[in-house]
Amino acid sequence: MAKVQPAVISVGFCEHASKRSDVNMAELVNEAVEDCLNKAESVEWKDIDYIINGNMPAFEGANMPELWMTDHMAAKNKPLLRVTTGGTTGGSVFVSAYYAVASGLFDTVLAVAFEQQSCGNTTVGLASVALGELSIYPTLGYEATRLRRNMGAGAAIGVASYQAMNYMRRSKATEEDLARVVVQNRRNAAKNWWTHLKMPTITIEDVLDTPYISYPLRFGMVCPASDGACAVLFTTEEKAKQIADIPVYINGVGSYANEPAIIGVDCGGAGQTDPCEQLGAVKSAELAYSQAGISFPNKEIDYAEVYSPFPNQELQWVERVGLFEPNSAPEAYLNGVTALNGEMPVNCSGGVNSTNAIGASAMERPAESALQIMGKAGNQVPKTVHTALGHGWGGAINLISHVVMADEPQRKFK
Amino acid sequence: MTLNLDDEQDVTITKGMVRAEFNFWVGIVMDKFYDGLQEKKFIGTKCSKCGKVFLPPRNRCGDCFAKAEDFIDLPETGILKNFTVTNIKISERKSRNVKKDQIVGLVQIDGADTAMIVPVLNINPEDLKTGMKLKVVWAKNIKGHPDDIAGFEPIGGV
Repeated sequence: MAKVQPAVISVGFCEHASKRSDVNMAELVNEAVEDCLNKAESVEWKDIDYIINGNMPAFEGANMPELWMTDHMAAKNKPLLRVTTGGTTGGSVFVSAYYAVASGLFDTVLAVAFEQQSCGNTTVGLASVALGELSIYPTLGYEATRLRRNMGAGAAIGVASYQAMNYMRRSKATEEDLARVVVQNRRNAAKNWWTHLKMPTITIEDVLDTPYISYPLRFGMVCPASDGACAVLFTTEEKAKQIADIPVYINGVGSYANEPAIIGVDCGGAGQTDPCEQLGAVKSAELAYSQAGISFPNKEIDYAEVYSPFPNQELQWVERVGLFEPNSAPEAYLNGVTALNGEMPVNCSGGVNSTNAIGASAMERPAESALQIMGKAGNQVPKTVHTALGHGWGGAINLISHVVMADEPQRKFK
Repeated sequence: MTLNLDDEQDVTITKGMVRAEFNFWVGIVMDKFYDGLQEKKFIGTKCSKCGKVFLPPRNRCGDCFAKAEDFIDLPETGILKNFTVTNIKISERKSRNVKKDQIVGLVQIDGADTAMIVPVLNINPEDLKTGMKLKVVWAKNIKGHPDDIAGFEPIGGV
């Protein structure tokens, strides 16, 4: 149980695009930090006690970007920590900021996550993340050239296509079901100011008209590579009540590691053969819900942001985190349950499928959920959101972050 | 497969190439700096709050977290704040040793609050003094590139 109740009081973004060549990495981050601080008028940059920064490990070839951008994120002469955990980096940054406040060590904490993918070579970057076993291979007597055979097409999509195949077999979902998720995401993104792929008129036919990248995933279903940054300001319950109209209380946090399934050495290293089983997500959600006192997530959660660069993952995650019964997500999407005005709106920001500045993506999920509770989201749902979740995935399919937040502080059980 | 490392015959050596290409955007602020070099000029930025001047320019002041977006022209002269002398060739790996000692110095341009690391030219190491006045030596071919600054030399010779 948290010693101090942490709350989110402000969220900032910069505009995301495929190439933000008008700014360098530090200036990109600065835009999000400024946006975040401007939205919390009574907080001065000097009030920030601690800064946590993260992006993907060396995706842009910059190994210590947090030192480069110290001045640009109000961190000069302040405690600073860098966190990087693959695709979950943003989620881990968010969770670390939560820990910093919850421990009682720091009052006001700024979490910053970013990626400027146009600067780097994503495939090389992913070689160190999605091919988590890269360094282990030689010790098993494998040659480096063998890696290519295992990964199929590219890194992340190689992982996701295996998940998609298993999910489709389990749930009888069709390619049309996958395309429907993409359409919902891209149309939502068109209504959110900071997103990358805005496609207000896209249809299922448009998506199915694109070529396969790795069966069953098509070009039109894959997330873009974006440049962007996100900043979130945390503080204590007492201070949040004075600063924010609607403070968003972080009531439960779970971050579980799950063994990699398909990219274990020839599937032998994992003891797990179904990549869409995702026990890490199930366990993370269970822990976060138990901390937050949530017994029926499908009834008690009003809004969800899940980490889904690929549409099959969105269907898979909403089931694994307990929002829908197993294999029922495709039907829910068909019936508009997850739409903006549905009973359980999901990824109304446009999701990772529309914008993927990788290091920032897993933080943008809880950040957008917090905005929905505040009523300040770019694509605000019409209903009142009391309780929401933000989920992150990454790191060779084996690290999940799960955050549950609400407009009321954690229920205290005695 | 078990590897017996005592017997070299059993060791497999794999060689592979990983292509890692990175290209960085300097952004519009540093772009202005390189535009300045092309005209043989130093362009910095000034903090809107404390007035600190940054060269090369940056758009935020770390001390105030205030905007530093006003560009200002700076002179070609500066002060030697610090230096070192080396006979190991700088940024060249083929031949390490050089006959003549090279001097690298930390030069603060007049009016700026920051310093740049640049070669110091046309002076004997024994004549170096911190605090001495220097003036920029431009490269023969100006390209809007960091190498446009060939180095700095003492004003009037020593």
